Amino acid sequence: MDMFANLATGFGAAITPANLLFCLIGCLLGTLIGVLPGIGPIATIAMLLPITFGLDPLSSLIMLAGIYYGAQYGGSTTAILVNLPGETSSVITCIDGYQMARRGRAGAALTIAALGSFFAGCVGTIVIAAFAPVLAGFAEKFRSPEYFSLMLFGLVAAVVLAHGSVIKAVAMVILGLLFGLVGTDTQAGVTRFTFGVSELYDGIDFVPLAMGLFGFAEMMGNLEKRAEDRSQTQKIESLWPTREEAKLAVPAALRGTLIGSFLGILPGGGAVLASFASYTLEKKISKSRAMFGKGAVEGVAGPESANNAGAQTSFIPLLTLGIPSTPVMAVMVGAMMIQGIAPGTALLTERPTLFWGMIASMWVGNLMLVIINLPLIGLWVALLKVPYRLLFPCILILCCVGAYAVSSSTFLVIMMAGIALLGYTFNKLGCECAPFLLGFVLGPLMEENLRRSMVLSFGSPSIFVERPISLVLLLMSAALIAIIVLPSFRKTREDAFQE
Amino acid sequence: MLRVKSPQDFWAGVLFICFGALALYLGQSYAFGTVTRMGPGFLPTVLAWIVVGLGAIIVVRGLAVDGTAIARGQLRPQFFILLAIVLFGLLIERVGLAPTIFIVTLVASLASTEIRWKEAVALGIGASVFSVLLFIKLLGQAMPAWTWSF
Repeated sequence: MDMFANLATGFGAAITPANLLFCLIGCLLGTLIGVLPGIGPIATIAMLLPITFGLDPLSSLIMLAGIYYGAQYGGSTTAILVNLPGETSSVITCIDGYQMARRGRAGAALTIAALGSFFAGCVGTIVIAAFAPVLAGFAEKFRSPEYFSLMLFGLVAAVVLAHGSVIKAVAMVILGLLFGLVGTDTQAGVTRFTFGVSELYDGIDFVPLAMGLFGFAEMMGNLEKRAEDRSQTQKIESLWPTREEAKLAVPAALRGTLIGSFLGILPGGGAVLASFASYTLEKKISKSRAMFGKGAVEGVAGPESANNAGAQTSFIPLLTLGIPSTPVMAVMVGAMMIQGIAPGTALLTERPTLFWGMIASMWVGNLMLVIINLPLIGLWVALLKVPYRLLFPCILILCCVGAYAVSSSTFLVIMMAGIALLGYTFNKLGCECAPFLLGFVLGPLMEENLRRSMVLSFGSPSIFVERPISLVLLLMSAALIAIIVLPSFRKTREDAFQE
Repeated sequence: MLRVKSPQDFWAGVLFICFGALALYLGQSYAFGTVTRMGPGFLPTVLAWIVVGLGAIIVVRGLAVDGTAIARGQLRPQFFILLAIVLFGLLIERVGLAPTIFIVTLVASLASTEIRWKEAVALGIGASVFSVLLFIKLLGQAMPAWTWSF
């Protein structure tokens, strides 16, 4: 078959002792930096990018793949251990992963995340190899109205997933969208809400925003509690999932992989949507729905697999259409450009060895990840035993260095202090930050696609229901809204989020 | 006489209204455009009004429906954490990474009531050395280990 011949070419090019070594080093460094609380995948990749400059294109891409997966897994690790999501796609992992850690099941959560991610990575790689050309055709049908409706669906999902009051979650999403609009309006060439600060011309930077809202707000909340109430003081049981946990995790991982592989293909934040969607599904079909939010195994296995499958297949729009669908992909585009590789349709036809070599390297990267991380889980878990009074200053300085390193800007560091105060206030007022963050990421994209749709339709909003894919997405959003409003679901939801 | 029945909702609503109003005030000068040709002010204005509207509903709900009180905060952790972040921003380019990390670690440690001074100093020194090795030597970040420029 064609696919196997292509994959064989890819593996032939990718698997050389030198490349395997680069992948191993990349994976190790990626996890090491990514696992540091407060440094997410974007910051990790950006920091490690310079070490790949000297290599030939394929080796450098292979090393980057290692760094990417390492950073991604490192991000999930901090999400589980200290409730710090490195990027939006691990926000979901925080909900139940952190609760599992609080119950002393951190080891099991990390193992499930690693194995689920590996499985999803394998499937994702095969999906890319088999369907990249076909799926590119489907993704090409997406125009602005479809993108807009898709993002709307994501935001509705974020509201459904939020704790507590629905109306506050909606307000947080909208506020997030507003924050996302800060910066230069590229279409009109006007800067908005920047107060003349040049650091804000490209928008509020994601890294200090996420660190401030999640990392520091959590830290200040933690310090207010007495030592014995604190999340860090539980003891760790076995590193391995129990039989019951495995039984719950395996089907959830399978479903997550399926959702992730599919949603990851859609440009516009596939991995994020995938983890949200997987969590919603797991919660919907679970027999013990009350466990969600309190450390449900499926709530880690599903989204983690979905997230990784999505991270994998989100390379499809990048490789076939040249669209970076996530902030991390945008960094990857930067790295490819430095190597003189322009992602897009030409890549497959003009440089097939590189294209397939890269796909093979994704699988190799996933394999390395498991090989390195299963033995090291104990080490990551040991981080929990460090007393909080020693841990939080370290987290603080790492976040500060991370925020500063993004663009060597002291402004971003000071802005982070302001955002931390805001995040703390939101927590005190019972406003959830996760919907805010998703709104923030999607804000500029939604505006752009809304504008384009309106130009296409001469100002008529009916364009969103006239196009079939867009209509389906809108109907799905409406169904989600109906579910929240239904009294029976409302009650379950309130029970589920009771802490 | 109106009484706040749910302080969490009431103040969250007030906060949303403030943000919305601020966005409306700042956004006045951006061209609104038409639905077909949206100007830079279109979406911000629409969203800001929605935030104000939702905020108002939340305020009314805070007055009408009993709800959660706001958990009492403490000034100490907030003050020292925020001070530590700001100090990092102010010092990093003036004295370099190593002294900054040392000072910031000590200030941050003050946020916890469990602070032990000897331990905090040791942590500060350890964190400085580690940061210089990791970020400057290993990762080649563009920041000086030591400097003096005021």
